[in-house]
Amino acid sequence: MPATESSAGQAAPTGHGGTGVVGTSPRRKEDHRLLTGGGRFVSDLQLPRMRHVAFVRSTYAHARILGIDHGDLDPIESPVFTALSPGFEVGLRAQSALPGYVETEQPPLARGRARFVGEAIAAVVADDRYQAEDAAELVVVDYQPLPVTVRAWEEPKHSIHDEADGNLLLSRTFDAGDVDQALAEAAVVVRRELYTNRHGGNPMEGRAGVALWEGGPDDGRLRFWNGTQIPHLVRNLLAELMEIPESRVQVIAPDVGGGFGTKAVLYPEDLALCLMARSLPGTPLKWVEDRTEHLFAATAARDHRYVLEAGFDADGRLLGIRGDAWCNVGAYSVYPWTAGIEALMAGGLLTGPYKLDNYRCTVRGVATNTAPSGPYRGVARPATVYAMECLLDSGAQALGMDAIDIRRINLIGPDDVPYRMPTRLIDDTGHYAECLDSCTDRLGLADLRAEQQRRRSDGGKPIGIGIACYNELTGLGRAASAGPRMPFRTGHEACTVRVNPDGRIVVLSGVTSQGQGLETTLAQVVADAVGVDYADVEVRYGDTDQSLWGFGAFSSRQAVIAGGAAQLAAIDVRDAALRLAAELYEAAVGDLTLDGGQFRVAGSPEPVGTLADAARVAYLESNRLPEGFEPGLDATRFFDPVMGAFAAGVQLAAIEIDPVTGEIEILRWVCVEDAGRVINPQIVNGQIAGSIAQGIGGAQYEHLIYDDDGNLRTGTLLDYLMPTSAEIPELEIGHIERPADNPTGVRGVGEGGTLGPAAVLASAVSDAIGVEIDQLPVTPERVWSALRSARSEGRADRSER
Amino acid sequence: MKPAPFDYHRATSVADAIAVLAASEGSGKLLAGGQSLVPLLSMRMAQPTVLIDLNGLTDLSGLGDRSGLGGPGASADGPPTDGSTGSVRFGSMMRHSELCRQTAHPLAAEMAGWIAHTAIRCRGTIGGSLAHADPNAECPALALVCDGRITVQGPSGQRRIAAADFFEGMLQTTLADDEILTAIDLALPARWGFAELARRQGDFAVVLAAVAELDDGWRVVVGGVDSTPIRVPAAEAALDSGVDGAEAGRLVETQIVAYDDIHGGASYRRAMAAELVRRACDMAFSQAAPSAGETGAVKSQP
Repeated sequence: MPATESSAGQAAPTGHGGTGVVGTSPRRKEDHRLLTGGGRFVSDLQLPRMRHVAFVRSTYAHARILGIDHGDLDPIESPVFTALSPGFEVGLRAQSALPGYVETEQPPLARGRARFVGEAIAAVVADDRYQAEDAAELVVVDYQPLPVTVRAWEEPKHSIHDEADGNLLLSRTFDAGDVDQALAEAAVVVRRELYTNRHGGNPMEGRAGVALWEGGPDDGRLRFWNGTQIPHLVRNLLAELMEIPESRVQVIAPDVGGGFGTKAVLYPEDLALCLMARSLPGTPLKWVEDRTEHLFAATAARDHRYVLEAGFDADGRLLGIRGDAWCNVGAYSVYPWTAGIEALMAGGLLTGPYKLDNYRCTVRGVATNTAPSGPYRGVARPATVYAMECLLDSGAQALGMDAIDIRRINLIGPDDVPYRMPTRLIDDTGHYAECLDSCTDRLGLADLRAEQQRRRSDGGKPIGIGIACYNELTGLGRAASAGPRMPFRTGHEACTVRVNPDGRIVVLSGVTSQGQGLETTLAQVVADAVGVDYADVEVRYGDTDQSLWGFGAFSSRQAVIAGGAAQLAAIDVRDAALRLAAELYEAAVGDLTLDGGQFRVAGSPEPVGTLADAARVAYLESNRLPEGFEPGLDATRFFDPVMGAFAAGVQLAAIEIDPVTGEIEILRWVCVEDAGRVINPQIVNGQIAGSIAQGIGGAQYEHLIYDDDGNLRTGTLLDYLMPTSAEIPELEIGHIERPADNPTGVRGVGEGGTLGPAAVLASAVSDAIGVEIDQLPVTPERVWSALRSARSEGRADRSER
Repeated sequence: MKPAPFDYHRATSVADAIAVLAASEGSGKLLAGGQSLVPLLSMRMAQPTVLIDLNGLTDLSGLGDRSGLGGPGASADGPPTDGSTGSVRFGSMMRHSELCRQTAHPLAAEMAGWIAHTAIRCRGTIGGSLAHADPNAECPALALVCDGRITVQGPSGQRRIAAADFFEGMLQTTLADDEILTAIDLALPARWGFAELARRQGDFAVVLAAVAELDDGWRVVVGGVDSTPIRVPAAEAALDSGVDGAEAGRLVETQIVAYDDIHGGASYRRAMAAELVRRACDMAFSQAAPSAGETGAVKSQP
């Protein structure tokens, strides 16, 4: 779909180039399997004696559970589990050492109180899902309703957790410089109050698990097939929660049909399934989430309110930002990421790619009687970029400046790098203006401005240009991921690169893939780093019994961190192979090269031997091993970038508004990102296109709406509007390639695209018709209402501009 | 999202379907295209004891005199001799995709083209959509604007219900528990127009508007503002007296009361009804006006 071109970047940062597959788009290794129906998802798994689980879910947003009656069900045919079942005393407690953080517990099945509509209260087992749902209907829950709170910024009606009076689970103030003085000295101060919409991942495959307990209650072993983005973390957490040795827990994430962060959570349903399996040893238990369960009970995100002031000097220079943000945590602190996941990201990255010294923002994570919030592609920043760009648009308007000029003045530039943001994060890219220039060129900004003026004078549907500049913090190392102060640091990944006796390579990585092509990407990195053909590299992941360690897929980290680990391990293997070959072929190691699996001596075109020959010696002919060489040919390395790699990005769009209906037609959409070194252009562009599409969905269509009683009004895909191909415009994607300081030179690209659309569309509407969009999503009715109020208040359609 | 248990009966004839339906004493459901019913079953919002599948009844899927339905009503094969524009009969099991393709009734083809997506149009039927009676759907509005005469059959025989008397409320009709909708006759308008506003391509309309010039004057129908599609008599009279579409739209906005829901507030719906009526009128007025003794431009379309 996206028309794409890539400008030539700087030279690759490492000298270990092999066969040159990095930077190209070879046939993806997973394509045959996934495109011909050969993928194997948790839903496909069929095991002997397998039974199926359905959850009984709360129909109240907040209620005491006085009793659960399942007397109509045969306890053998259809066993029912509740919070009172053996083993269910345990709970999910997301931990953080941040001062003032209130730790709360999420039970695997609601214990005594239900806190949101859709919370699992009981689980029923039957021979198939139909019968399980029949049985679930016969479970009768006796509720005593309690007062309901659904908005994070309103006076709470009732404590949701006894530990947290006022429902405040976390609050933190980011404070740098002297913002009060900066605003006092500013030429203009603008104020915006903004509301962003709750929406969520909605991957094609919902959450899914099959849990099997094999052996006795004390010496048994748990196998858990789980459509998760974080299998090693799930293993670690399950072992701890169920008090079993980690060696007896195997977590397998087979093919997974999309995740977007939604599956980077250990859910109460997951834990419940494993606890039930322990109670029913030898019986595999399957639960596959349906679409309604996903909308009601999977984590969503971005239900925020921002009240912000920004001061500018007369030239448009940003002097200070002061404000408050409220993030709806939902009923529980998401495990294991905590109630701080959105609030801390919102406060930490609000200022984006703009230079700023004076900043004070208090962020809050507040519990409500809605489904829990969690990680979702872009975490908080689609909202903060919208907020920040609104401030810049208001500033430009107050000063009579061009919206693009005011951004240009304030963007972090290459000379400012490394730039210490007011929240102490270090921006290591300064190429925003370059992305912006490339966007305005591609868009043909001057022509569009001329057309805009022509329509303002001659009539015709108004055109608006929208803009968003953003910095996506990717591949967070141990320092960059320190913010939430959780009991683990997600800075590293492990990778094993093994040469088999036939000279072909197996890569055992801690990554997971939800369709984003990690088998291909890692194979490209390893093929080049070792010096073998792409076809001779096989990548395995997603099984905790196979790979050593990996945190998994989140924070746009896998290409950066796991790619780095793969690169380091591959270089070790290459070095070992060259040392062995030097002995076998009596050449100086410095004169040898390995390329396409063949050793050559410098200056001689004919290979002296192959990696397969050397590997055979290493594994099968120890008699030929030189003195001091151990058998085998493999390496395992960890990589931690310590800091992170910021990825610069700019999106620009032209829209046309129907002033009668408020409908928006997207005429053009361009995006230019600094993805660092691009390993696979097709995959990178696919990530960017998909994330922009998801961003447009959140900006215009997707909205989880709760009424005042905490009932979800958008519980089906008839009411929760996912964008389809008909709603997504042609996307024009470009790159500047400025390699990051890590082994592969890459910057993450998994999420950045989601950061732009809300800001772009709000800014484009404002540019077109002179109204401010203070609430997301940008629906036709909102545009219509804003336009109508502007007209009734006598404000012009900005035709004077 | 799995249906509660039900019995399944594949009907061999209309009489067979009526017999099984009547025997179920109100707890049976007819399965036509299933595009609304099957999701309702999956969400357990509908829990019939027996599902009576009409998909084998090919004699219900025809058009005009090919339907083999007999009974009163004009066919599509030419204008009637009494000078009226005539009507077209559709069997209840005609798929939306067929409705799009047929040329006997151009407004029906136009409106069917706005129904959902290809896959849904290939399964969904006009009879199923009428019986489901979603106020935001195209078929109920089509029935009302074309003075639809709905043929239903029950244990005691056949009766005809005017569309105006058929839609009772949100998802409610005057179809009895033991009756099957077998056909609908739609008047052929001399001129017509249709406009719809939906959030996404293929969604149910937020608001839709259809106008049609029938023998006895203009009809203006709006869907998505009330629990059934509604006629707006004041706008109809105004069009009969020669006002333009914008004026008709303004009258609509002042005459109707609209509901509020997550897809559109009441004032937005009223304003959109005005605009869509204006657009539908513009579309109608762009068609050649019929002169006395002629049957209208649309009928001469291939």
